[in-house]
Formats: sequence, structure tokens, C-alpha cells
Amino acid sequence: MEESPKTELFTVPIGPQHPALKEPSHFRITVDGEVVTDAFVRLGYAHRGIEKAAESRNWVRNLYLFERVCGICSHIHATAYCLGVERLAGVEAPPRAQAIRVLVAELERVHSHLLWLGVAAHEAGFDTLFMYSWRDREAIMDVLEGLTGNRVNYSANVLGGVKNDVDAAQRDAILRAIDGLEGRSRHYLDVVTTDALFLQRTRGIGVMTRNQAEVMGAVGPTARASGVTRDVRVDAPYAAYDRFPIMRIVETGGDLEARFVVRLRELFESYRLIRFLLDNLPEGEIRGRMPRRVPEGETISRVEAPRGELFYFLKSNGSDTPERVKVRTPTIYNLTSVVKLVVGHQLADVPMILAGIDPCFSCNDRSVQLDDTDGRTRVWTWEQLRRYSLEVEHGRSL
Amino acid sequence: MDAASSLAAILFFPSGAFLLVASLAYEWVDRKLLAQFQNRLGPRWFQPLADVIKLLAKEEVVPQGVNRWLFVGLPIVGLAAPLTAALYIPLAGLAPVFSFPGDLIVTIYLLSLLTMAIGLAGSNALGRFSLVGATRTLTQLFSYEAPFLLALLGPALVAGSWQIGTITQVASQRWFILTQPLGFVVALIGLMGKLELPPFDAPEAETEVVAGALTEYSGRGLALFRLGKAVELVLGLTLVAAFYLGGVNGVAAFFLKTLILLLLVAGMQAVLARLRIDQTVGLWWRFGVLLVLVQWAITWLLRGAWR
Repeated sequence: MEESPKTELFTVPIGPQHPALKEPSHFRITVDGEVVTDAFVRLGYAHRGIEKAAESRNWVRNLYLFERVCGICSHIHATAYCLGVERLAGVEAPPRAQAIRVLVAELERVHSHLLWLGVAAHEAGFDTLFMYSWRDREAIMDVLEGLTGNRVNYSANVLGGVKNDVDAAQRDAILRAIDGLEGRSRHYLDVVTTDALFLQRTRGIGVMTRNQAEVMGAVGPTARASGVTRDVRVDAPYAAYDRFPIMRIVETGGDLEARFVVRLRELFESYRLIRFLLDNLPEGEIRGRMPRRVPEGETISRVEAPRGELFYFLKSNGSDTPERVKVRTPTIYNLTSVVKLVVGHQLADVPMILAGIDPCFSCNDRSVQLDDTDGRTRVWTWEQLRRYSLEVEHGRSL
Repeated sequence: MDAASSLAAILFFPSGAFLLVASLAYEWVDRKLLAQFQNRLGPRWFQPLADVIKLLAKEEVVPQGVNRWLFVGLPIVGLAAPLTAALYIPLAGLAPVFSFPGDLIVTIYLLSLLTMAIGLAGSNALGRFSLVGATRTLTQLFSYEAPFLLALLGPALVAGSWQIGTITQVASQRWFILTQPLGFVVALIGLMGKLELPPFDAPEAETEVVAGALTEYSGRGLALFRLGKAVELVLGLTLVAAFYLGGVNGVAAFFLKTLILLLLVAGMQAVLARLRIDQTVGLWWRFGVLLVLVQWAITWLLRGAWR
């Protein structure tokens, strides 16, 4: 401990285990009274070795592995992976499959944003909004379950297409759910923009200027709340977004209120797109043929997850397993802004500002650096990595 | 009053056992109402009692570096103070067990002791969450206490007495909520601040400071503090009802009036988002004190007309 006890007294540790954090992560907040003077973040508590695990599984099995990177936006991970692998293999999924991918992705966005609304309201001590938004979110969970068979980790994708088609009954169920949710979302938008007490906690808090957002590389709704016009669905349309375009939602406030408004307004855009998709689903197959082995090569795949840009790098050596997969989730881009923005704010605002980026820690805890002191880099096998993790965890070897 | 009946009044009714049961029941009503407002099921009727029994049965962990005597003693003070205050309050619609001129001031002091004990308990521990929570608890004490006290003194001013029994008698002839609405609002919201209920729950905001001043407490100490708060909820509601809602004459009036107040309190907990501690202080000193002083000025000027 390099710090003297006196200064240490005013350092508030948030995490790795803390009621404000739903996932492990460590923040060291130095406070002067209630005002934050410095912040430090440490990640890596939920590293699961998924990228390494992918190298020992074949292309098909990896689909289900990558769906488990994130429990909330699982579909978008699978979509990013599928699009990349399909590009490597020179296969294109049929138009109906692409449209269904977008449909599920937008339903997932709705569920993710409603979940976030609840979490953010809870951080602000507004539990009534938390309970209400999570109750309404159930409608989307039911729809997704009816569509794919699962409430989370839907497995809607397969390589070369999608697993399930959308029939008339499912279409009606989705439309009913959307109709109900639209009214509720309008109400929530009213609440977060007019409730005087809630606005005291959001308006002018954690302001990120457009310039800051660009310098710190913010993505997704966090960046769009600061006026950055960045949305992969619009900038580089993937899957069916070229045929079913979506409008980019941008706010210029840059504060927490703007982040609420951006996400809630995105809900309406998602509802519109879902309705349009259901009325205009292309006819045809939902699956194409996919070879077992993927030709040698490398590619990248970018998609817009509910939290922002999600990036996949895929490298194939011509076998039935990938040589390297690199995943970069939106939280890691946005997290740096939190450490910057909390300085000068009250301690009470820290959980709010943190929740404002919609963090997903176990998603971004991914990279493990294996640098020896002599500069030599080692490549570990899955078995070695597993043994190492058990040694660290239990202080024993196998 | 002979010794036996005094002892019975202290131990069983209307103070003592009856009060403890009533506080657990009121805590349940509060939790259940809040849950219903939030579209949840809420706890079953025996849950507050079950919580207390569970906590009492659990091991009490005394953290390193604390003053053991304070750590063990403060929860006892925290519960004893409101139980003592109960003797001067017209519980269950009956006359207070004990009464003397000026008991209103003593009662208000005793009711503040719980908050003081919680603040001290937090400062006694070395954990950062406890320290931040204790700072917030004591800061909040300084913000709501003065307006709350002034709001309770409004009816006293009209009654011309500092004795709770006398004020209640005067209050049962005229409803002070009609003549002093501002004072009523400040008193009720002050009570919420006192009990650290939302939106004044910054001292124990779990997303920031875990459990605030009581983070290090488990088992017996936590049970006593919780019980103390539940008792104070009943006492506070009784005081406000007795002073502003036309007194509490009779058991039915007592339950009816305090439960109506509890409904209001639960409703406000449901619709309001948590205030930051600086916003709490600002609210009380900018608006709370001002409102109650305006009320006082009006009361003072019109005093002759009302008497």
C-alpha cells in the first residue's frame, strides 16, 4: 500500500462485489467529502477464455459459444459471428433469413433497452420505474420465447440462415406485444423527461461533449446521446438493414437525460421497423447450404449491439475450426468515459453515470495478455489455459 | 398511578409489547403497500417478525477496530430511546402513560436519539461505506430535524402548551391540518426524512453505500436498529395524527388516522426518486424551513382570532 492511511480513508471501493454492480468489476473512487476527485477502474474479474475456447471447437459449435458472451444481447453476437463466417465461406443467407435476423435483433434491442431503463432507475433510487419497466419487458421475453423457444440465448441463428420461420400466429403475438409496449414506452419517455425529482438526478449530470465522445471512442446510444452520428446499422448496413433501413436517433444533450431519451426513442424506431418487417417479410428459404470447412482467410464483422458497435475478427486456416476469433464489445469502448466523467460529480452520481453507458462487464472481460518479461509471446493451448486458471483460482494444480 | 399498573403500561400496553407488535404490523403494511404500488406481491403478514427472529438468531459479527462497547451498546440505545418516547405519546388513542409540562421537547429529543445512535454506529466502524453512510445520516439529521421540530411546535403554539396531552386535547377540538396545512406537510415529510424512507434514503442508498451506517451490522444489532425504526414509524405517525388530524381519541380513530397517514407515506415512497444528500439538505433548508416559518408567522398573527 503506497498510500498513507489518511488518504486511503477517503477512497471508496466499488466492487468487485457491490450492490450497484450486477457483474464483478472494481472501481476505486477517491472522494473529498461527497465529491469525486479521482476514479480508477480495474477489469478482468469475469474473464472466461471464450476466444481461446473457440479455437478448439468447430465453426458450428462456436455459434453457441459466442451467443454466451453476453446474456442480454446474445443474438447480436451470434449474428456478427454468422455474418463473418458466411463471408469467409462465400455463402449468403437467403433474404428471408436476413430479415428474421433483423427482426430478432430489434426485439432483442427492445428487451435490452427496457432492462437498462429498469437498472438505471434502480441506481437512481426510483424502484417503481424499475419494477414497471421489467414487468413490461416480460412481453418481449414471451414473444422471443414463442419465436425461438428460449427467453435468453435464443439460438435464432444457424450458419447460413436462421433456425425458425415466423408464422402468422407468431406475427400476431409480436404485433400485440409491440402495440402494448408502445404506449408504455411513451409513458416512460414522459416520466424521464418531466419527473422533477428524477430530472434532478439526470439533467446536466455526466455531460460528455461531442468532442469528448469522439476522442474517447464512445459508441452506441452513449455516443449518440452526445450528438455523434454513429450507428453501424446506418453507416454500414448488414443483414437486412439495407432493405429495411432504420433511422439513426441522435440527441445533443450529452448528459444522463439525453442517454435516457436516446434509448427510449430508439424503442419507437425499433417498433416501427418490427411492424414494417412483419408486413414485408421476403418469401423464400430460411437456410442456405453451409460447407463444413471454411476456406482460408480473414475478415471482420461489425454490427450494432444494443450497447453500441460490436466487432468480430475471424481468421480461418481452412480447417473446420477457426484459427483466431477476436471479439470487442461496446462496453470496453465506453468504459473509459465513465472514469473521466465522474470526476467532479457527487459520489451519489457515480452509479448513475456508470449505468448510463449500460455496462456489460463479463462481455468485455476477454483479452488476456501473455507477455513474458523477455518480450517472447507464448501461445497457450486450451488445456494449459484451463490448468492455469484453476491454479490461480484454487491455488493448486490439477 | 401505582407501581403495578405503571409497570404493565411500560411492559405490555399501550407501550412495550403492544407497541412492538404494532410496529411490526405497520412495517408490514408499509412494505405491502409499497409493493402493491410497484406491481409486486410484497411480503406475507408475518415477514417483519420473521426478519427480526432470523436476525436475532444469527451470529453477530463484530468487525476489527471498532469500540466493542459502543458497537454492542448503540443498538440498545437505538431501540430504548423510541420505546421510552412512547410513554409520552397518546398510543392507541389512550392518554399518554406519563406526562409533564414540556414533555414534547423530551419526546423529540428521544426520537432523534435513534438517528444519533445510527450515525455513531457508522462512525464507530472503519468501513468506508459505514463512514460515508454515517456522514450522510448525521447530515440528514441536521437538515430535517429543525423543520420537523418547528412543524410539531405549530400546534403547540396555538395550544399554548408544551405538553403533548394538552396539545392533543386542543387538537381534537379543531383539525390543525385545516388551519396549518403547511405545517402538516412539513411534519409528514420530515417524518419520512427521519425514518430514511425514499426519497430521503440517501444515507442507506444500496447502490452507492451498500447499507450505509449499518453496513457492518448483522444479527442482533441490525435487528434492534430495524425494530427501533419500526417503532419510530408508529410513534411519528401517532404524533402527526394527534397534532394535525384532530387528535387520536379512541382506538378506532388511532388506527384509522395513522393508517391513512401511512398510505400517504407509502404513496410518496413509490412515486419519488431518491434525492442526493446535497439535494436533501437544500430541500429542507430552502423550502422546509421557509414553509414552516411562513406557517408560524401566519399562526402567530391569527392566534387571537382562533382562540
